[in-house]
Amino acid sequence: MSIALDQVTKRYQGVPVVNDVSLNVHQGEFLVLLGPSGSGKSTLLRSIAGLTEIDHGRVSLHGRDVTHVNVRQRQVGFVFQHYALFRHMTIGDNIEFALRVRKVKAAERRARRKELLKLVALEGMDDRLPAQLSGGQQQRVAVARALANRPEVLLMDEPFGALDAKIREELRRTIRQIQRELNMTTVLVTHDQEEAFALADRIGVMHQGRLLECGQPDDLYTRPATRFVSTFLGAANLLLGYRTSRGVRFSAAPLAGGDVPREVVAVLRPEEVELCDDESAIKANFVGHGRVEELLFGGAVERLRVRMSSDGPVPVAPGRDGAADTGSLFEVSRTLPEQRGFPVTVGQRVAVGARRIHVLPTPISSFTAVAADATAARQLQDSPLLATLGTRMQTRVATRIGRFERAPPGMPAIATGPDCAAEAEWHLTHGAVQLLCVPPTAALPNHVVIHALDAASRRATLAVAASLLRHVAAEAIYLGIQPATSAETERATYMRDLLDARSSAQADHGLDMRTELRPGAVAEELQKELAAYEHSMLVLGTSNPAAIQRDWLRALLEQSPARPVLIVNSARAETLPEG
Amino acid sequence: MTGASWFRQSSILPGFGLTLGFTTFFLSALVLLPLAALVFKTTSMTWAEFIDTVLDERALASYRLSFGAAFIAACINAFFGFIVAWSLVRYEFPGRRLVDALIDLPFALPTAVSGIALAAVFSPTGWLGVKLQQYLGLQVAYTWVGVVVALILIGLPFVVRSVQPALVEAQRDLEEAAETLGAGPFTVFRRIILPAVLPALVTGFTMAFARGVGEYGSVVFISGNLPLKTEITPLLIVIKLEQFDYNGAAALGFTMLLVSFLMLLVINLAQSWSRRRYVRADN
Repeated sequence: MSIALDQVTKRYQGVPVVNDVSLNVHQGEFLVLLGPSGSGKSTLLRSIAGLTEIDHGRVSLHGRDVTHVNVRQRQVGFVFQHYALFRHMTIGDNIEFALRVRKVKAAERRARRKELLKLVALEGMDDRLPAQLSGGQQQRVAVARALANRPEVLLMDEPFGALDAKIREELRRTIRQIQRELNMTTVLVTHDQEEAFALADRIGVMHQGRLLECGQPDDLYTRPATRFVSTFLGAANLLLGYRTSRGVRFSAAPLAGGDVPREVVAVLRPEEVELCDDESAIKANFVGHGRVEELLFGGAVERLRVRMSSDGPVPVAPGRDGAADTGSLFEVSRTLPEQRGFPVTVGQRVAVGARRIHVLPTPISSFTAVAADATAARQLQDSPLLATLGTRMQTRVATRIGRFERAPPGMPAIATGPDCAAEAEWHLTHGAVQLLCVPPTAALPNHVVIHALDAASRRATLAVAASLLRHVAAEAIYLGIQPATSAETERATYMRDLLDARSSAQADHGLDMRTELRPGAVAEELQKELAAYEHSMLVLGTSNPAAIQRDWLRALLEQSPARPVLIVNSARAETLPEG
Repeated sequence: MTGASWFRQSSILPGFGLTLGFTTFFLSALVLLPLAALVFKTTSMTWAEFIDTVLDERALASYRLSFGAAFIAACINAFFGFIVAWSLVRYEFPGRRLVDALIDLPFALPTAVSGIALAAVFSPTGWLGVKLQQYLGLQVAYTWVGVVVALILIGLPFVVRSVQPALVEAQRDLEEAAETLGAGPFTVFRRIILPAVLPALVTGFTMAFARGVGEYGSVVFISGNLPLKTEITPLLIVIKLEQFDYNGAAALGFTMLLVSFLMLLVINLAQSWSRRRYVRADN
């Protein structure tokens, strides 16, 4: 393993900017860290180089733990966005700098300089000053300089950011070529997905300090695991689907025969949408009818927006107009041959088909605020925690007044307070997969406590917690609690189980959390941990909600000050077909 | 675009003609004319008289003190001024703004006031002077050391104020780049920071030096003004004026003018030569 990061965390003024990132980069691999600005990707890169000290975790380079080794001794090459060439030195001196500070002999230095200038195709430029070169040439000098001392890894922080499009593309090709030629382990940071696709063996997508997903470019594009990655890498229509025993349907209408559909989030790429004039002409799966609302000619592809009829698919996020009864808006892109096959105009009614959809494995699909009357439901819907989660997860927060026969699809949310425990119990025994108990004024948590009441619910609990933590910049702790009287061997086995669950959660969801084993009573330990932080939240898993005693639940939900509690019902989750 | 656009200057100040006119006028009225008068006054002496006055033993001693003390003070200021500027730019500490404001105080204070204050503190009976005498055997007031101390006080803001912006501008990533390439703190300082700040440092040094050569008010109170020992040239000129020896005063003034001008010219040329290396060529 060329670069190994283990639970790297970096905080600025208490806020984690890099949050529990674990990552391995193989020898010779080109990894691109992709993310919007402020996602922590540069900080992560700098901590690999040692330019930023980390608060927690471990950094290893080629099996050597370098967490506490300073920049000079880490043997990394670093390329900065603004080249950072020494302006008072010639190109040759710039390149030789690393060798000169190591007192390498002049003849050897000169040979290496020549070799490197040839590598970056700048032969004969030795005596120029950086100011006499163009931006692209300067960045190539910076690359040559970074390689001078034969580093073990090459790190590049938005190296093409300051260059114009044409030079950028050319330089990209040069970098890729050099990287292949030297078989150099390389990590490059960028916010440009096109660049990531062009360069990467593997792409790691970062958002809010977390490494959300890491995988081969085509895998990430066709089979993203998270909402963020599906919308950040290319465009995507996110729809609420209903998984039944016969597949995924887009209509929320109840099915005959008591088949209870499970709500899921489906990704429909704009290029996977098929448009025809009639339902019968659709070759792919028919989705519904819609009207063309916008049409943009874009050269090779045409971009359209199609407004679906109101009984059609439900968008995950409410439209900008916010009105519930207008249908969802589909982003569609069509190639020239497709356009020729079926030309459309604005306002035209079309039949819409989906060639391929991808169901996100995320267990959280949408929220429904449940309350006794409309005002209370509205209040709950607008409560800071629920509203922010809805926005961050780009998902719908619906409302429901009073009890129906069954719990609503997705995640019901109820207000904490008196009777909260009874309400929670009803939902959990009437089909809720997850349940969120929200104190009306609670803000987003910065400390999330995860606990599974039984071994069977661990997987599902961690999956939901992972899904939540992708959107919340909080530090997570996975607590195992055992009676203080338990035997030593028992405790060791339990700890091993916890760690296993954690590592499989990391493998499945790319998320990592701290794990701790506490002796004591469950309710007390949880309350103690929650009370230690001002904005804490509990994710509690159970495989048998009926076994939870109401008094126990009441103590947890009705404690003061109230904390948000997310209950995961894995019994319900696991009876459904796996995504 | 109208036909009138050709005479528009790409400047926010109005008209090139107007600004150049002002420049010429001010330079002439305030600098060149008085200087010309000085030179003219000197020409009323004969060569022999001139040489006599200028190379007089007392005059030579005063040149040595004036230029020597100014040079030493400017060197000390260049060193400590850099450190002061560095700590003000690179570190965040309580009271930073206050310290930043204090730097300018010698600019605003009447020089006589600083001179008297220094003399009071450093005199053999002053509370710092006593200690220095006692422990180091060093007498500051009424010796050439006192002159240097006064000139350090006067010159410090020049260095700090010229180095500060250069340090702000010096990119942090250059230092980081050097570190990733294996350079230790000393190498980073010597090879990266210093070259970037050097032109500004030289400017600060030059200004502190020039100011030190011409300083009068603060020095006369602390130097003791012993002929041949602690008498600076500006004081000698004042003494000549008080004896109504206008020609002698003019001759000394002319000499100082000449030496100062030559020194500043050399420093400026050296600087513009070194700066040319940084400036972007035509591309």
